[in-house]
Amino acid sequence: MNDTLLLIGRSLRNTLREPLTVLPNIAISVFFLFVYNSGLSSVAELPGFQGTYLGFILPVAIVSAAVGGAGLAGQTLIKDIDNGYFTKLLLTPTRRLAVIWGPMIASAIVLTAQVVLVMLIALALGLKVAAGPAGFALVVVLAFLWGMAFAGYAAFMALKTKNAAAAQAATFAFFPLIFLSYTFVPKEYVTAGWLKVAATINPTTYVFDSMRSLLNTGWDWTSLLVGFGVTFGFATATGIMALWAARGATKMS
Amino acid sequence: MATTPGGGDRSITAESLHRDFGELRAVDGVDLEVPGGQIFGFLGPNGAGKSTLVKILTTILNATSGRATVAGYDVARQGGKVREAIGVALQDVGLDPLMTARELLMLQSELFGTPRDEARKTAERLLVTVGLDDVDPKKRAGAYSGGMKRRLDLALALVHDPSILFLDEPTTGLDPASRAAIWEEVRRLNDEFGMTIFLTTQYLEEADRLADQIAIINRGRIVAQGTPSDLKRDVGNEVVELQFGSSDEAGSADQALATVAPDRQQSNRELRLYFERAAENVPELVRALDGAGIRLQGLTIEQPSLDDVFLRVTGEALEHEVDEAGDEGFASPAEVTP
Repeated sequence: MNDTLLLIGRSLRNTLREPLTVLPNIAISVFFLFVYNSGLSSVAELPGFQGTYLGFILPVAIVSAAVGGAGLAGQTLIKDIDNGYFTKLLLTPTRRLAVIWGPMIASAIVLTAQVVLVMLIALALGLKVAAGPAGFALVVVLAFLWGMAFAGYAAFMALKTKNAAAAQAATFAFFPLIFLSYTFVPKEYVTAGWLKVAATINPTTYVFDSMRSLLNTGWDWTSLLVGFGVTFGFATATGIMALWAARGATKMS
Repeated sequence: MATTPGGGDRSITAESLHRDFGELRAVDGVDLEVPGGQIFGFLGPNGAGKSTLVKILTTILNATSGRATVAGYDVARQGGKVREAIGVALQDVGLDPLMTARELLMLQSELFGTPRDEARKTAERLLVTVGLDDVDPKKRAGAYSGGMKRRLDLALALVHDPSILFLDEPTTGLDPASRAAIWEEVRRLNDEFGMTIFLTTQYLEEADRLADQIAIINRGRIVAQGTPSDLKRDVGNEVVELQFGSSDEAGSADQALATVAPDRQQSNRELRLYFERAAENVPELVRALDGAGIRLQGLTIEQPSLDDVFLRVTGEALEHEVDEAGDEGFASPAEVTP
C-alpha cells in the first residue's frame, strides 16, 4: 500500500510540474458546460422536464472530462517506458500492481479535482443540487470511479502499444460513447430507434442517469444502484485488462 | 572485508540459459559460475547478447529455457528475493526527467522499504559518492548531461546496499573523466564491501583493468572464460604487429608468412603474429615479405592484449562503437581500428 501511495505522489507531483498536460482538458469540459448550457437551455422548458438544464448537461461535461483525462495515466506509463524509469521501478521489490496503479489512481485524482472545479463553476452559474451536499459528494465519487475505469483502459492501451500517439487515439475512440446516449435531451424526446438501442447498451447512459438524478431530482436509489454497478463493473473490467497487459509488459520487454 | 546487509550468498550461476526473440536466438546456452566478491567482466560486441543476459539475471526478462540463480535465489521463481539483493544500472539509464536527483534517490530508497528520514540521508550520501552533491538541488534529471545521468543511475542502483551489482555497459559513450570515476567507484565498492560486480562491456581495456574474471560472449555463446592473464597467456607470449598500406596487402602478407608464422590473425590493414619469442623471428619475417614484394609500413612487438584473445576466439576484431558518443564527446578507452 505504501508503495502505491509513494507512486501516486510521484505522478501527482509530475502533473503539477507539467500543468499543460491537464489544462486543455479542463478547458474543454468548462467549454462544454458553457456552450451547451447557454445554447440548449430551452430544452428545460419542454413539458415533463425535471430540474434545470444546467443539472442535466453537467454530467456530460464531467464524463467528457473523464474520457479526455484518462489519457494521463497512459501518457505517464508510456513516458516511463520510453525513458527507462518503468524498468527502474520493476527492479525494486515494489509489487507490479503498484507500478501500474500509481499513475492510474493519480490520473483519477487529477480528474476528480477537475470535476470538483467544473461543479463549482456550475454552482456559481446557479446550480442547485437536488440531493444536497451528500449528492454533490456522490457525483464526485462516481466521477472518480469513472476516471479509474478510463485510466485502466488507457493503461491497457499504453502497455499494449507502448506508443503515445496510439494510446491517445485509443482514448478518443471513447468520445462517441458520450454522444450515443441521451446526451442533450431526455429519453422521452429521442425518436431515432437506433439511438435508443445504442443508449441502452452504452454504459455512459447509466452514469448520466445517476448523476442527473442526484443533481436534478433527488435520491433515486434504483438509478444510483445501476449507475454505480455499471461504473464499478466497467472499472473492474478495464482494471483486469490493464493488469493483464502489465504482466506481459513487465516480462517481455 | 566489510559485509553488506543482505550478505550471505553473493554468487551468480547460470545453466544452459537460452533466450529467443522470435527467430533470433539472443542467448544460446550460457553457463556461468561467478563466485561472490568477484568483479566479473562480460565482454562482447554489440548485439552479442550481453544486455539480454543481464535482463534475465536481473528478473526483468524471462529466459526461454535454462535456469539461473542470483544470490542463491532462482531468478524465475524468486524474483522478489533476487531484486532485494541486487543493484542494477542498465545500459539505458532509467530516470524520470521531471524529478530531481534527491527525489529519485529518496523514492527508490523508500520503494526498497527504507523509512523517509533514512532515505534522505542515503540520498545525500550517494550524491557525494557519485560526485553530484554540488549540482543545483532543483535541477531535474532531464537537464543532466549524459555523464551525470549515468552517475545518478549508478547511485540509484546503490540505495539499498546491494550485495551484487549489475552494470550493463556502464561507461559506453562516457568521456574519459566520467569513465575513470566509474572505474574507481566500481573498484571501491568491490574492495570495501565485497560486492560482487557483474559488468558487461564492449571495451577490452575496461574488462582488462577491472575484472578478476572475464567471459567473452559472441552471438549468444560464451567463447572464452578465465582471468585476463590466463586468457592472454593462451594466445601466446608475444605479438608482432605488422602494418600494411591496405587490407589487400595485409592479406597477401598473411599468405606469404604462412610457414614463418603459423599463428596469425588479420584485422584490416594489420596482421598480428603470435610467437614464444618475437624478436628472433623478425629478420626472417622481413626477408619473407621482401621476397614476396610486399611493402611493410610498420612493425611493433607487444604483449598480447584481450584484443588478441577476442580475435582468436571469434575470428573477428571487436568493433568499437564510435558514434554513440555521450554529451561531452567521446573517447574510446581502447584503440579504435580504422
